[in-house]
Amino acid sequence: MNKYIGIAGTNYSKSLNAKMLNFIKKHFAAQADIELLDISQWPLFSKVDANLVPEAVLKASQKIKQADGVIFATPEYDHSVPAVLMNALAWLSYLDQPFNAKPVLITGVSYGALGTSRAQEHLRKILNAPELGAKLMESQEFLVGRGFQTVAENGQLEASLLKELDQQFSAFETFVAAVKKEGDQ
Amino acid sequence: MKLIGIAGTIASQSYNKMLLSFIQKHFPDINLEIVDIKDVPLFSEDLNLADYPIISQLNRKILASDGVILATPEHNHTTTPALKSLIEWLSSKVHPFNDKPVLLVGASYYTQGTSRAQTDLRQILESPGVNALVMPKDEFLLGNAKNAFDEAGNLTDARTVAFLETVMKDFTHWIKVLKAMRTKEVPSFEAEDLSAKNPIDTTIVGIDSDDPQWVEKAAELTHAASGNDYVKLDRGVLTVDQLNWFLNSMPFELTYADDNNQFLYYNHFADAKDMLAPRTPDQAGSSLQAVHPARAIPGAKKVINTLRNGQSEYKMLIPGTSTVHYYKRMEDENKSYRGINEIVLDLKPVVDFYLQATGQKLVADKKADVVTGASQKESPAVKPTPKADSVTSASTKEENAVPVIVDERKETQVDSTTSASTH
Repeated sequence: MNKYIGIAGTNYSKSLNAKMLNFIKKHFAAQADIELLDISQWPLFSKVDANLVPEAVLKASQKIKQADGVIFATPEYDHSVPAVLMNALAWLSYLDQPFNAKPVLITGVSYGALGTSRAQEHLRKILNAPELGAKLMESQEFLVGRGFQTVAENGQLEASLLKELDQQFSAFETFVAAVKKEGDQ
Repeated sequence: MKLIGIAGTIASQSYNKMLLSFIQKHFPDINLEIVDIKDVPLFSEDLNLADYPIISQLNRKILASDGVILATPEHNHTTTPALKSLIEWLSSKVHPFNDKPVLLVGASYYTQGTSRAQTDLRQILESPGVNALVMPKDEFLLGNAKNAFDEAGNLTDARTVAFLETVMKDFTHWIKVLKAMRTKEVPSFEAEDLSAKNPIDTTIVGIDSDDPQWVEKAAELTHAASGNDYVKLDRGVLTVDQLNWFLNSMPFELTYADDNNQFLYYNHFADAKDMLAPRTPDQAGSSLQAVHPARAIPGAKKVINTLRNGQSEYKMLIPGTSTVHYYKRMEDENKSYRGINEIVLDLKPVVDFYLQATGQKLVADKKADVVTGASQKESPAVKPTPKADSVTSASTKEENAVPVIVDERKETQVDSTTSASTH
């Protein structure tokens, strides 16, 4: 069973993305071990001395290194990734590069119709930066737009979205296996 | 021209800060104020804007400026968390970037000079919640920043400086063009929004305007001067107590509503029942929408809109009385509309005094149109009451006649002291 780290790009107590990631964790519990990482309390990033990097960042970095992949759920603020997630990624690319060659699955839920498409595109761009260098599945995106209502009400996804999520997750597992194989060679 | 400069960093030393400082120094004709964002907390929807005065302060500064220069570093192919966090704060409950001209610049260690960060920042600033006007065409990218400045913080390359001069000239020209475009529009008075829903640079954000304790809460939030705190005025210095004694001794009722149509102040020297235009303490802070009955809204909109569009004053006599509502346009040093000063007074004691002092009396002018007729139509809230008093007594005898002052001495040869007894 693969081990994944789940990161919801939010510090909002009523976040739909945190709710959806919780659902993803439970839904795939039989297939994968997904550990959720809380980035909400990290201080605002600046280039501090190595000994001043927060303990939470170092721990998170270790966990990501040991994991088989990372699953993101990102909100969208102002057509882009929220500052809190940009902040986490700034810390996680500062001293060591735990995302290097790490397979990543990107999801996001929004109140609007577009379901965080711009934020997901922005996140892909950030994860492609040399200091992060994550492995992204080509043109992968999981957008939950107006389907948010079911997430908001009972933390579930409606049937059509669930089918799509199952397909994407299975494609992700194949991708993770391929990346591993590549690494072994 | 007043500009605000923000470097997207919380570090004390930064090439982007140096770049802004150089712009400030190199263009003395432009008033560039550089603000530091190191105390701005990471944005969260759980945090309450009212708890962070720095955000309201930045909101006010940006609103009051003609434009903003953002200097962004680049992290991970994008702008910084610190700058993104600031923009999230300023696009959530307050929106100072709305229609605000913005110039993007950026300095970096490497040759790329923040091009990706600027591209992202442009997309972020043009999103509907921010709605800034980002300067088209020019981008000022300073690569290899560590070799670009001399010890005094000046850019050493003459071509770079010349290009920066072109960019700044374009930006200031563009701001003027945008301003000229906007001033052409004169919206009709129906569009005047009395709901006070569009915060301005002075708006105290974070308190419900209908809160009866608005004054107390707003004072606490802003750490407002009070009691024996001194306030510098044009022209003089008074304590807040002295200012209150002064305003409360005015022989008229004063009301201040700002350019967002929020009722902020009245000189509270009498209870509502004893006022010509009754006000109650709980109303301070309310929108003009909330303090006017529905039937009075169109009249209020018309008066405010007239002043907003440049007329300096507007007068209205309450029919059947000697009470005048005298509205004055308030302006800042740039001659921009900053609100309405409503002065309500009873003319009778003043007219009586004048008549007594000069030995004259009022008689009806049969040829005159009734000037108060117009305000009856405009202000259906005010019902004329044909109650006679000494000032309008002439008109009760002669319908539709307006009192005018006649020199009584010429007519009757009575002396000025006895003329008073005729009224």
